[in-house]
Amino acid sequence: MTYKTTMMAALLAATALSGAQAADPIKIGVVTPLSGTYAGIGQQVRWGLELATKEVNAAGGIAGRQVELIFEDEEANPAVAVQKADKLFQVNKVDFLTGTVNSGSTLAVGQVAERAGKLIATTVSFADSITTDKCSPNVFRVNARAGQQSAALAVWLSKDKPKANVFYLGPDYEMGRSTVAAFKSAAEKVGATSSGEVFAPLDSKDYTQYFGQLRSARAQVLYTSVAGNDTVRLLTQMQEFGLLTNLTVVGASGTVTAQNLPAIGKAAEGFVTGVGYSAQIDTPENKKFVAAFQAANKMDPDLYGADSYGLIYAYKAAVEKAGSTDTDKVRKALEDLKWQTPQGEKTLRAGDHQAIQTMYVVRVTGGKFMTVGQVSGDDAIGPDACPRF
Amino acid sequence: MADALTRSMRASHVLVAILVVASLIFAAVGVAKGDTFYLRLGTEALIFAGLALSVDILLGYTGLLSLGQALYFGLGAYVSALVLMVTPSFWAAMGGAFAAAVVVGVVGGVIANRVRGVYFALITFGMAQVAAKVVYNMRSLGASDGLIGVPIINVNFGFAAISSASPAGFFLFTLAFIIILYALAAYLLDTPFGRLLIALKANERRVPFLGYDTVTPRLMAYVIAAVIAALSGALYPMLRGFVSPELLFFSTSGNAVITVVTGGVGTLIGALYGGILLTLLKSVIGSYTEHHLVVIGLLFMGAVIFLPRGLMGIVRPAIERLLARRTKS
Repeated sequence: MTYKTTMMAALLAATALSGAQAADPIKIGVVTPLSGTYAGIGQQVRWGLELATKEVNAAGGIAGRQVELIFEDEEANPAVAVQKADKLFQVNKVDFLTGTVNSGSTLAVGQVAERAGKLIATTVSFADSITTDKCSPNVFRVNARAGQQSAALAVWLSKDKPKANVFYLGPDYEMGRSTVAAFKSAAEKVGATSSGEVFAPLDSKDYTQYFGQLRSARAQVLYTSVAGNDTVRLLTQMQEFGLLTNLTVVGASGTVTAQNLPAIGKAAEGFVTGVGYSAQIDTPENKKFVAAFQAANKMDPDLYGADSYGLIYAYKAAVEKAGSTDTDKVRKALEDLKWQTPQGEKTLRAGDHQAIQTMYVVRVTGGKFMTVGQVSGDDAIGPDACPRF
Repeated sequence: MADALTRSMRASHVLVAILVVASLIFAAVGVAKGDTFYLRLGTEALIFAGLALSVDILLGYTGLLSLGQALYFGLGAYVSALVLMVTPSFWAAMGGAFAAAVVVGVVGGVIANRVRGVYFALITFGMAQVAAKVVYNMRSLGASDGLIGVPIINVNFGFAAISSASPAGFFLFTLAFIIILYALAAYLLDTPFGRLLIALKANERRVPFLGYDTVTPRLMAYVIAAVIAALSGALYPMLRGFVSPELLFFSTSGNAVITVVTGGVGTLIGALYGGILLTLLKSVIGSYTEHHLVVIGLLFMGAVIFLPRGLMGIVRPAIERLLARRTKS
């Protein structure tokens, strides 16, 4: 017995010396905006990743190895993001990379990863192109894309207001027009009729000029994808004109947020949107997560924090399944991976590397987002449109 | 007997030689260590130094503050990316960027050169913003996402080829490319045409009394700067494999001006040193603190207050004296 333990101890010491690799931490690079306009999103990403990493490390790490996060500020600029990603891959030798927020950065960093033979995942970018026409074998997305959000909203709309007459008001720029077009096709697919659309310039001061069109369209539902202070002006002006009675306002997930909700006040009541996460989700897993997140950061998690938190567990599951951090093996393990997150079970579809998840429909009630419905992942996901693999 | 301009140009050439030697050592060390990141960062620094060079031709020699030089840098980058995605030929991309820069440069130059001083700065700023917004909203140019998938190319010289994916090879190629741009600019500014530009900066109203036209040289200087910015920009997608509308944003133009002011206005070589310094500083400081913009801002303020003539304002006179002593003895 003593002999055996000495042998074991000697063996352990030998492996500790020779196989230093086994004890090396797994490095995860995080290229995320820590300064500038998107710093608030980057903050949530950071908190979510740090919380999950702390939990994983406390429970013994990934396959016995501790996890180390290395942060770099990308300033929400793809040119900076690419340079930082290159540094993390080549100098810090990270095993995996995440954190990019704007879709331009995600696409550009995805290409860097492809050329460096590494994997990345985004937890924030929702442009459909990342997992459709511009998909990459080295890029995964664990959050819901724009198409899932609008599909969920459309499905809810078809149940709550069947065959609704919908009017569209979007901000006049490329992304505004594409979000309106995406929701329009999703809504028409489930039986809604469209009675007109207008596009207002970004930063419009006066939306009343569009109210005549909205009135004469006799719409029951208004879809809008304006954001920030534009939403404040649009909704308060609509309230002053008494247009909010007998009209359901629905919109993109960025239209009414925790940031502009206080400024909109009562005019936001009844606003409905489709999201991949809400802190109000009533499951034990989510309650535990929200409590831990609040304890660590004195703030509620939003969808970026929750999706980033979930990513660490996806990577842990994949590495433990693959038995290594090798790119090809982890990619194979991530494909069709099912894992638990605060918002329920997610599946990474092998065909386009897009996470399939239950989508939530939330309505502003009493100044808070309340969940009013959910749409199953399969109903919201849409077809696999990735041409490359 | 060399005059002050020739003397200072010679001092600049010595500094270029130092830069080249230092770069060669850097490349050798990089290759020996099997490095990729620092060589690519160095290449990017040289590319942005090319942009700063174009700002210095306008600001330092012609006295025109351009706040929109990113327009031509981005133009070169986008044209190069679009050409490379159709046909992966270095020369076609450079030819395309050159032609586009001449055409847009003449149009932009005619518009911007109608006014002087602060109005010139505002017009150049405005034109670049308009171009940035157009690109940002144009789906065929990738809109806000930019264009990815610019292929890795071979720069073919007939007798040899350099792959844009080879960190050391492409670094040395970019070094040679930027030095050639520098040499062309330095040569031009030492000709009577260059002296005319300096006269324009000194006192534009007197120049016509000497019998010279002022409109054409200003426009020429503007187009030359546009071409240098575009050719530097054309290298960007070859290095990084993508372009994004951020390349046309004010931050790109603003950084180039900061670079020139820090390096030394009207020295040409100051633009190269400043460009390299700023890129490296941003990368290094950015990895240590998220408040890197504050640090860079403070450094810039310090440079303006304590080094009003830039880094080269200290270094170059010393070299000039050294050169003068050698020619005497």
